Amino acid sequence: MPKQRRLETIAPWVEISTTAADWKAADPTLLASMLGQLHLIRAFEERVLDLAGEGLVHGPAHSSIGQEGGAVGSIIGLTSSDAVNGSHRGHHQFLAKALTHVSGGAHDLDALVTADIQTVLQRTLAEILGLAQGYCRGRGGSMHLQWFEAGALGTNAIVGGGTPMATGNAWAQKHAGTTDLTINYFGDGAAQIGSVLESMNLAAAWKLPIAFFIENNFYAVATRIEEAVADTRLSVRGQGFGIPCWRVDGMDPLAVHLATQQAAEVMRSGGGPAVIEVEVYRFFHQNGPYPGSAFGYRSKEEEQAWKKRDPLDRVATEMITLGLIDQAGVERVRAQALAAMEAATAELLEADPEKQGRRRIRPELWPNTDFVNVGVRGDASELGGLRALDPSNSDAPRQPSKFVDAIAAVMERRMEQDERIVVLGEDIHRLKGGTNGATKGLADAFPGRVLGTPISENAFMGLGGGLALDGRYRPVVEFMYPDFMWVAADQVFNQVGKARHMFGGENAVPLVLRTKIAMGSGYGSQHLMDPAGVFATSPGWRIVAPSCAADYVGLMNAALALQDPVLVIEHVDLYLEQDEIIADDLDYIILPGTAVVRRTGSAVTVISYLSMVKRSLEAIEQTGIDAELIDLRWLDRASIDWATIEESVKKTNAVLIVEQGALGTSYGGWLSDEIHRRFFDWLDQPVQRVTGEESSPSISRVLERAAIAGCEEIVVALETVVANSGGAS
Amino acid sequence: MSTTIRMPEVLANVTEAAVQKWLVAPGDSVAVGQPLAEIETEKAVVEYMAETAGTVLELLIKEGDAVDVGAPIAIVGEAGELAPASDAAAPPAMVATPSPDAAATPADTSATTDIDLSVRQFVSPLVRRLARERGLSLNGVRGTGPGGRIVRQDVQALLVDVDADAENSSAHDAASAPAADLVATTAHPPVPEPAAPLVTVSPRAGLEPELIATSRMRKTVARRLTESKGTVPHFYLTADCRVDRLLELRREINAIDGVKISVNDLVVKAVAAAFSDVPEANTTWTDEGMLRHRTADIAIAVSLPDGLVTPVVRGVESLTVTALAAAISDLATRARSGGLKQHEIEGGSFAVSNLGMFGTQAFSAIINPPQAGILAVGAARAAPVVVDGVLAVGTIMTVTLSADHRVLDGALAARWLAAFVTRVENPVSTLA
Repeated sequence: MPKQRRLETIAPWVEISTTAADWKAADPTLLASMLGQLHLIRAFEERVLDLAGEGLVHGPAHSSIGQEGGAVGSIIGLTSSDAVNGSHRGHHQFLAKALTHVSGGAHDLDALVTADIQTVLQRTLAEILGLAQGYCRGRGGSMHLQWFEAGALGTNAIVGGGTPMATGNAWAQKHAGTTDLTINYFGDGAAQIGSVLESMNLAAAWKLPIAFFIENNFYAVATRIEEAVADTRLSVRGQGFGIPCWRVDGMDPLAVHLATQQAAEVMRSGGGPAVIEVEVYRFFHQNGPYPGSAFGYRSKEEEQAWKKRDPLDRVATEMITLGLIDQAGVERVRAQALAAMEAATAELLEADPEKQGRRRIRPELWPNTDFVNVGVRGDASELGGLRALDPSNSDAPRQPSKFVDAIAAVMERRMEQDERIVVLGEDIHRLKGGTNGATKGLADAFPGRVLGTPISENAFMGLGGGLALDGRYRPVVEFMYPDFMWVAADQVFNQVGKARHMFGGENAVPLVLRTKIAMGSGYGSQHLMDPAGVFATSPGWRIVAPSCAADYVGLMNAALALQDPVLVIEHVDLYLEQDEIIADDLDYIILPGTAVVRRTGSAVTVISYLSMVKRSLEAIEQTGIDAELIDLRWLDRASIDWATIEESVKKTNAVLIVEQGALGTSYGGWLSDEIHRRFFDWLDQPVQRVTGEESSPSISRVLERAAIAGCEEIVVALETVVANSGGAS
Repeated sequence: MSTTIRMPEVLANVTEAAVQKWLVAPGDSVAVGQPLAEIETEKAVVEYMAETAGTVLELLIKEGDAVDVGAPIAIVGEAGELAPASDAAAPPAMVATPSPDAAATPADTSATTDIDLSVRQFVSPLVRRLARERGLSLNGVRGTGPGGRIVRQDVQALLVDVDADAENSSAHDAASAPAADLVATTAHPPVPEPAAPLVTVSPRAGLEPELIATSRMRKTVARRLTESKGTVPHFYLTADCRVDRLLELRREINAIDGVKISVNDLVVKAVAAAFSDVPEANTTWTDEGMLRHRTADIAIAVSLPDGLVTPVVRGVESLTVTALAAAISDLATRARSGGLKQHEIEGGSFAVSNLGMFGTQAFSAIINPPQAGILAVGAARAAPVVVDGVLAVGTIMTVTLSADHRVLDGALAARWLAAFVTRVENPVSTLA
């Protein structure tokens, strides 16, 4: 019989409930304020469902009716520099934060609806209806509700999508030396998704002041919690990550408040994250004004039982017992809330002249359709004051440098000049600069700013995104291999790539993502992609691909200065090259829209980037063809240098786009399409392309070589271009 | 019964012409007098009216293709009638050898009315655009690109002709000149084939002389001026004019807001005034007799990239100098863009040619029939003058009158010239 020793988890796990004494001891202002907020939110949510029933809410309306207690109880005690973000069902949290912000957390029940509060109600409703006066100019709606000033970081339509970014916000709060905290709200459905679990681990490992607030309403759409998990006490998750966890009745707003206070003490004192699970119940179905029982996945009896625990009634009853208010007073509160919603609605709707007895949104309140692409990215005006230099036409003296050393050198220079820059990625703090030496020396030079992450791309990419949105820090995230973007795809494309546009176009997202193409290293099918093609599909991302060390310096400096997410592509083939940088100058930028012609010619325009620029030069030399070679430097649609491309194509009338990687994710497809449409009448033959094969490269050396493009393939393509140019035989 | 429409002789002595633009399409019904096409002559474009009514059955030549006068260009008949069988289509992608017989050209192009997929021409987008912009016909051009695609190299020689012309001038007559180039090389056997080593712009070409195909305009200019020099008895009178007052007057006039006249405008006014002073000089020679003109219709020489046009300003004596300036400017602009009408280049009794802007001191010009004279105007220059026996500096402009001795005797010409000099030296009198 083996010996057994019971092991214990390191974090406490408690369940909290209130006693009569707690209610007695509670500050009457707190209770009154909670009652006020609960009623305002309830009236608001009822109105949203009415409008949804009238067909005036475009898209889903995820009602939080029944769950207000969890939101109000946890938020009313927060400051405006504390932050919250939530999920698709987030009106209650957003409103609680906004109301707390404008009222300082104290509401007067006799004059409940101040002008500021009326504005909050109206602008939130307008945003949900998709109108220009909304907080996100009508773009965000219900599921992308953001008001930074109030600390509302943004609800999120992806389940668990906001959690990684909340950890970034918390990191910024901690490292800026504040005692502020962030609460990330999600439901029982999200408690199982990878981004949440990764974020819990990361927050615990790095002791971030973030509360993972689980609203367990027992149903994920129509799936009962028992079907989805083994232990339905979802706060147990904290135990797995070493996070103190609280479990509390979400229909008791005071209990929620007290639990939050306890958790806040831990977070504000540097104790790291907390998990708070509240049991709540949404009185209606997932979406829309019908009860869940109408859809058959729960019973009317169950619904009735929970309605008896309505948080609005709970607080009112307790307050009446304590003599703090009477029934008439409660009704007055309700009436004020209803009147406020009436007033807000009247501002936004009018009688529909075409449908008797129906209402419609006032036509003039819609956003202008011209607004559709505004704010996809910033306007790069932040580069205005910086010194631009193009190494290709500068006489400045050079000094020798390995390419990879230039990376570390420019990073060091920028980190020394700008304390906001932090670097995160796997192993970047060890091994003398990560797996390739790109971050050499930085961990020693800048302790606390070079963060080796756990293997959780989704979480640490999102953490970087949260840092960027907060703005106090400028993150440089590394993906060890480009293919790892798939692991983090939601954070990369659905969150970081869209954060500016989706929330109205104003948010700067100054994040740099570095990765290295490793074709030729034998790492096989899942490690060797070129990310340019996929990133080019995401308009919020800018992309640079430096072909030499001097360009790397200028492009990285520009990337770090931009207020947009920028992908900086490196290549293992370039790292060890003995190259040159400009002597004693690591401060210049290379502007977007400035490609460089590496070789002038008249027979064909060869367009390439990164390591394939050199391969192209070799091929051109070999064939003796008088090709013009453009090194793009900037690859994304907004930053690519059309002027140089146009001038060249009009001269040569033939184009060859050269890249190394597999066909499916290749970069040149969109570029070729655009060139055909812009310069059709200048082309003497279709745009030709050099890419890798259909399949991803595999580990066998010969098969890998056969799958990617090299000098030989470019030679063949150049000769094809020449053959297609005809001529008397 | 169908009628064959043939290329008309829109201008005397013209042997070939082209349809610049078809105004009807197969299937259209036409009435007598309805314009069928714009026929291009050496310098102007003439609308050709239908002489029979019916339905257009077929267009036999493409826009821009030159054919002999008299060659069939279209078929008009009853709707639904078949066109005569002689217009069988030849595949357009054949080699461009010069046909010794211009009658072959209509046969090549009769396929224009149907879309025949088996004879689709594959042409790169670049070449399509260049052909469209420069009025090149790709008939008979062989494609050496993939699948027989016509690519830039295949039309290189044609483009070089056009480019060489374009380089020589600031204004380029796209409608008639390049088409004329191509026409000249495919329809006239004596001119070498374009695919032959005509010219390349490669710097490694030898120093052999470059053979440049002549445009229609150049040919016409050559023919007419040779005729003129050969048949009109020219004689010449020269005079120096003091133009200080003319230049001053011009300055004063141009100081008026919105007014801009040139020295030449005042010179032309002086010419017209001289004709008022010496009306007998306003006469031209015809075989039927001498024609005394009652108005001063003066032709102004306008230089073009590949030749010369002389549009006529009618009734100069009754135009204010600003109206004259506007008229000359308009004619010159339209001359350069090929927009002159036929009647604008016909007639006139006299011409003025001014090479002063090039610094030419004096020259003798060749008379343009049917006119009786031409005044060659040189540059104004500072020169010593004698005023009351004292040497001074004045501005002198030398003019040379070429006169047709059949109508202008020496004395008459001299009197006219004297009147002109007086007018030019007293320019205010020309405004009255």
